[in-house]
Order: sequence, then C-alpha cells, then structure tokens
Amino acid sequence: MTSTQQNAAALEGLTVLDVAGPLGNYCGKLFADLGARVILVEPLSGAPTRHIEPKISDRDDLDASLTFQYQNTNKESIALDLDSTVGQEVFRKLASRAALVIESEQPGVMAQRGLGYTDLSSINPSLSVTSITAFGQSGPFSHWLATDLTSMGMGGMMYLAGYPDTAPMVACGEQAVSAANVFAGVASLAAVYDAETSHIGQHVDVSMQECVVLGMENAVQFYDLEGSIRKRNAGTQRLAGTGVFECSDGYIYLMAGGVGSNRFWTVTTDWLIAEGVSGAETFREPCWLDQAFLATDEAKQLFGKIFIPFARSLTKAQLHAKGREHRIPLAPICDTRDISQNPQREYRGYFVEAVDAYGTKLRMPGAPYHLSETPWALRKRAPQLGEHTQDVLAWVGYSQEQREALLQQEAVQ
Amino acid sequence: MRSLLAGVRVIDFSWIGAGSYTTKILADLGADVIKIESSKRLDTLRVTKPFKDGKPGVNRSGYFADRNSSKRSITLNVKDPRGLDMAKRLIADADLVTNNFTPGVMDKLGLSYDAVRAVSERVVYAAMSMQGADGPEKHDLGYGLTIAALTGLTYMTGLPDREPAGTGTNYPDHIPNPGHTAFAILAALRHQRRTGRGQYIDLAQMESTLSFIGPALMDYMVNGIIESRSGNARPGHAPSGVYPCQGDDRWIAIEVSDDVQWNNLVTVLGLTAPSDWDTLQQRLLHRQTIDAAIAQHTAAFDMTELMQALQDAGVAAGAVYDARDVVNDPQLEHRGHWVTLNHLEMGPSTYNSPPYRFSDAYSEPSSPAPLLGQHTAEICRELLKLDDVTIEELSAEGVLA
Repeated sequence: MTSTQQNAAALEGLTVLDVAGPLGNYCGKLFADLGARVILVEPLSGAPTRHIEPKISDRDDLDASLTFQYQNTNKESIALDLDSTVGQEVFRKLASRAALVIESEQPGVMAQRGLGYTDLSSINPSLSVTSITAFGQSGPFSHWLATDLTSMGMGGMMYLAGYPDTAPMVACGEQAVSAANVFAGVASLAAVYDAETSHIGQHVDVSMQECVVLGMENAVQFYDLEGSIRKRNAGTQRLAGTGVFECSDGYIYLMAGGVGSNRFWTVTTDWLIAEGVSGAETFREPCWLDQAFLATDEAKQLFGKIFIPFARSLTKAQLHAKGREHRIPLAPICDTRDISQNPQREYRGYFVEAVDAYGTKLRMPGAPYHLSETPWALRKRAPQLGEHTQDVLAWVGYSQEQREALLQQEAVQ
Repeated sequence: MRSLLAGVRVIDFSWIGAGSYTTKILADLGADVIKIESSKRLDTLRVTKPFKDGKPGVNRSGYFADRNSSKRSITLNVKDPRGLDMAKRLIADADLVTNNFTPGVMDKLGLSYDAVRAVSERVVYAAMSMQGADGPEKHDLGYGLTIAALTGLTYMTGLPDREPAGTGTNYPDHIPNPGHTAFAILAALRHQRRTGRGQYIDLAQMESTLSFIGPALMDYMVNGIIESRSGNARPGHAPSGVYPCQGDDRWIAIEVSDDVQWNNLVTVLGLTAPSDWDTLQQRLLHRQTIDAAIAQHTAAFDMTELMQALQDAGVAAGAVYDARDVVNDPQLEHRGHWVTLNHLEMGPSTYNSPPYRFSDAYSEPSSPAPLLGQHTAEICRELLKLDDVTIEELSAEGVLA
C-alpha cells in the first residue's frame, strides 16, 4: 500500500486567496500549478478576466474567455461580495487561514472594505498581502489610471520598440500585466518563505510601471554612463548582420554581427561562402570585425545586398536548419501555428489539455519549468463562478444553515 | 527590517542575460550569491557596452553591473582538478547551484546534477538552457532576441503591413525567464527546507517565455486563429493608441475604456467629434479616422502636461518615456527605484531596484556589482578555510584565475 509514495507538491499546505481584480490572475496560477490551494475570490458578477478576449469561438458565457481559462487552472472559486459587511466577514475568516492574499484593486479599496493589510495582519500576523497596482500603493501617480498600453509607455519599454519612422509599438500579449504578475509571484513567495519560519508576514507592494522598467535592457545605463538615449530600430539592422530578414515564406531573425565580441561573424561568413553566395568573400575583410564599422549604414547596406537575395531563396525552416548546423543564432520568426507544431515542445510534452465545463478541449501552455521532485501539474480546469463556494465556506466552519443564510443575504453565490 | 533570503547561499555559474538576472533577484532579496567567474572565459556582459566614460574594461560595463548587484565574485578555474574540488566544497555548504549553459556544458566541467548530488543531497540545481535538458533541439543556442523570434513575440508585435518589429530588446532575458526561474527556485527551496531534499530544475527558456503569450497560443489551438500584428490598437477598446506630442520623437499612449472617458478625452483635446462616435461600436468602426483626429490635436501638447490633464479627467494616459524620462519620473523617484551605488572602479552609478517593496523587509540592492574576482581571497578564507599562503600559491598557479 505504501509503495506509491509520492512527494508533497512544492507549495502544498499553502492557502492563497486570489482576489480577482483588474490585473488578472497569473500570479495566483503560479502558486496553484505548484500545488498551493488557491481560492479565486470573485465578485458575484464574476472575475473581470472572464470577459477578456480571446474567447472560445461562438461563445460569450462566463467560461468562454481563454485568458480566464489559462490564468486560473488548478484554482477553486468562491463568489463573494466584498462590498457587503457579511462578505467582508467571510473574507476575514478565509484570511485567518491563509498564507497569502493577492489583490489588484486601486490602492485603498481593500482598506475601505476593512480588508487592508493592517486589518488582515491583526487577525493573522503570518499572512502576507500582495498588492499589484499600476504605480504602487503611494506616490504622486498612485491613483492614476493605467492599462497595459500606457504602462508600457511609462515603463520605458515601448520607446525601444517599433520602427524609427512611426510611433513606438506596444509589445503583444499584455506584457506589462504579465511582468507585474510574475514579479508579484517572486516577491510573494519570498515573503511566504520567510513568514513560514518567522511568522512575520509582509505587505508586498508591486508596481506595474516599475516592473516594465526592468525590461529596458541597457538603455538606462547608456544614459547614465554615456549620456545617450537609446532608440528603436525595427525594420533596420541593429548592426550589420543582425536583425529581421525576409525569406521565401516569412521572416528570420539573424544575429551574425556584434554578438559577444562578434564571435559569429567568421562562422556566418564561412557558411555563406560555402553556399556560394555571391559577394560573401567580402565579409572576410578585417573591417567586418570592427563593431564601429558594423554600425554604419554602409556596412548594413552591403550586408543586405549580399544576404537578402540568398535569404529570399529559402524558407524559414531551411534557413533555421542551416543556422543550426553551423551553430549561428538564426531563428525563424514563428507564429502561433509554428509554435504549436514544434517537435521540441511535443517531445517535452509542453502543451497540456483541460476540458471546460461544457466539454470543450482547451489546449494550453503547460509547465514553464520541470521540477524533478515536485513537478508542475495540471490537476483541474479553471473553476466556474462560485463552483466551490459551499466547500470553501464549510472549510472555514460555516454550517449548512449558516451557508444558506449567506446565500439568502446575497453575500455569496 | 528583515532580509527575506538571509542564510540562502547560491553557487552561481550563470552568465550573460537571463541567468545573471535571475540570481540578481535572489541576491537583492538577501541571498549570498557567489558568482563563479573565469578570467579566461569572461562573462560576455563584462565586455559589453555601455562602459563608464565610454572606456572599455572588465569592470566598467554598466550592463554587467546592473545585472550583478549584491553578488560576490570569485575567479576559479574549474578545469583544474583543484579548482573543481574547491567548487564542490563550496557547493557542499550551499543551498542552490545555478547555470544557464546549453545542456552538456556543466557535465563536461564535472558539475552535472549527478555529480553535484553526490556532494550534497539537499542542493537545488537550477539549469536554464534555451530548449531544456532533453529533446531533439536541446543543443540549440539562443539569445533573448532569437527566443523572442521563436516564441511569437516578434511576429505579433508591430504593424500589419510592415515587417515584424518585436520589442527591440532581448526581452525574454529580462522578465519572463528570470521571473519564472526565481519562482521555481523559491518553491524548491521551500521543499528543501520541509524535507531536506534537493532537486533538479530544468527550465527551457522557450517554455517560460511562451507562458507569457498563453491566450494567443490558445486562440490558435482552440479556435484555429493565428494572431498577427495590430500595431497599438487594442481589441475592443477605441480609441487606443500612441499619438505624437510636441517636441522631437515625443509620444503619448492613450486608451479609452468607456464612453465617459471618451467624452472627457474629447473635452481635454478640444476635439470636434460627431455624436455617433459616442458609442464604442461606432468608435471601433471609425478607429482610423478617430486616431488621425486625435493625433492632430495631441501634437500641440507637451506629453507630460497632456498626461496630467487626461489623468485629471479620468482617462488612462501615459507619456512614452525614454531612458532620461524614467530616471526623472516622480513616481519611480517616490518608490526609490533608482539607487546609486559606489562601484569600486566605476564610482557612483545607477542601479535598478527590484519592482516590489515589503512592509518589513529590504528589497533594494545591498552592494554594487563585484569587480572580477573581487572576493576570491575572502571566499577562500571564509568558506574554504584556506590560509593566505595557500591562496597565494593557488593564484600563482592559475587555479584562482
């Protein structure tokens, strides 16, 4: 009977309350997928992410959002009105048994409900509360409005992206929101890790703007050390041999020039000569080993003149295979179909499948990391609104009678 | 004030981008991160621009410095059997070993997970290669920019009628990959503390980056829709975009989420708008005309003043900050984001703090980036219990180099 001894999950024994707010639920997913018990606390109308695109084709119900389905795997759901006194009382009971609360309301909203860090900490000193907001809990802009788009602007990443002759471009897929969620995950787990032994919880204050700033690469150091302002350069080569190039069925990204003391220049040159690319012998001249030369328009134009006709004669898959053979950083610019058909992802079992409450198969990204002893696991699909309300209430000690009273008062659903 | 990861020791073989950024997160949280370096095979970032005063030098790169705050550096030649033995002794007393090499490199050095586990059962071993430890593409080499190309970030960012733009940076190295790796490490450290057992973390940087575009991948795998580029237009929100302001290459991002915000935008900009634009449906239909009208008006405003005016009117607006702007932003200033640390060779220089604050714990970097091998003798004395004569001998013989 004991032969199938299994490890406890990495985060087993932790209860997390994920207050469904405007900045989404990916932080809570990180905890849930490694084995914490994560309870999604939704307003009676449902989490805001239940309405976010993309949705399952031809469906507009509360379980149709793919964003919601993705961000809430392995969670339970309680529908709880945090603006009612009774709902607040229930939340305090839940918090007394939790290790972590994650919330993304505007600063002050939770405190007005009597559910701020100070309130909850007085009930449960080991509890950490993570507040994810656009600008942080205090400061001149803390009450300003923001979206992913405006945060990418004020976090400095947007200025580095896009074409020199148009407006800067926002990154796809709400990267500011994702950044805020993943950094919130790290800070929350560090707080919980310490609180488990010290019994001192933390209020963790995460700013989405500040998270985006960490994506500015070396732009701030260029300003600090050289006084220069780094700009965007899409549609051009960063340095000769490095950038996006068109091929017969799409585009590739090539990094032949300038990487790590120009270590890929010679091997790229040898490859192009071996392919019989007309003019490639030129790249053997010593000037091409000088980064300053690679930065000139002359070098970029010359590289393009020689390389582009060759690239256009091959598919992105053919170029990728050749780059791999010669160990040159050359990658096809993949779309989501390319990615979903990639043999490496298949080999590693990266994509996983959940089945939603209506029987629709939802294939989605799986483990972002493989932990040998305590593996990431998809145990259950995202919950329906209030699917676990009764169980969760019973867990904190509400009797059948009390649960019915709460339902009648419309504090829960 | 607490230091959340006090007492956690990391033997850090990581270099360049994503690896060093991961261990910066741990170091700034109070872990003792010992960066194993080699003067023969330098961390490429040490010789990557920008340099203090534009003068190259292994201790002068701002790019390297920012990624390596709060760490100690030892130069140790692990290709020498004595160096390898010293690395193993450091590992024996440590909690975590990290690297971001392609699979096989650590094995060749004699520091595979099996070799490390033979030294210590409780060590967590985190490897973050591009494609993961196994599979047909495991030997691929990659950088942030090629990972961005392979994960759809490049394809889906930019204008529909232009070539893909991407973020213009090695974005996967800066946020998705260090963020996910640090989370997995903390979870494994918790398991270690509860059970006394270590484990092997195999993170494929491709996979942690893909987890940041989950909904787009599902749109294909569930609906068969291949998402493409749509510039700055957000689905379901209009207007939403980036508009020119007064000055050279100055812009503002504006996103209207409801009809009230639309009316307030019209008022602030002094726009003459036909009344049928009052509904979202019509605004989505006339998106391009509306964007052009907005752009005409925003061009007369200073971006900071317009941002303030729109925020006062309850409209989400953000100036498109460049490097100088983020350094001077009053909100980041209020949070103490930028810290000045006095680097031994570069002097006072600007570092990023992590993007979170704790009510009762430190979050900012505790020390500037180390010089190459700055702590070699200190670590030999403190952790390896070597005397000065031995340290000098090992230095002279190239073991500590």
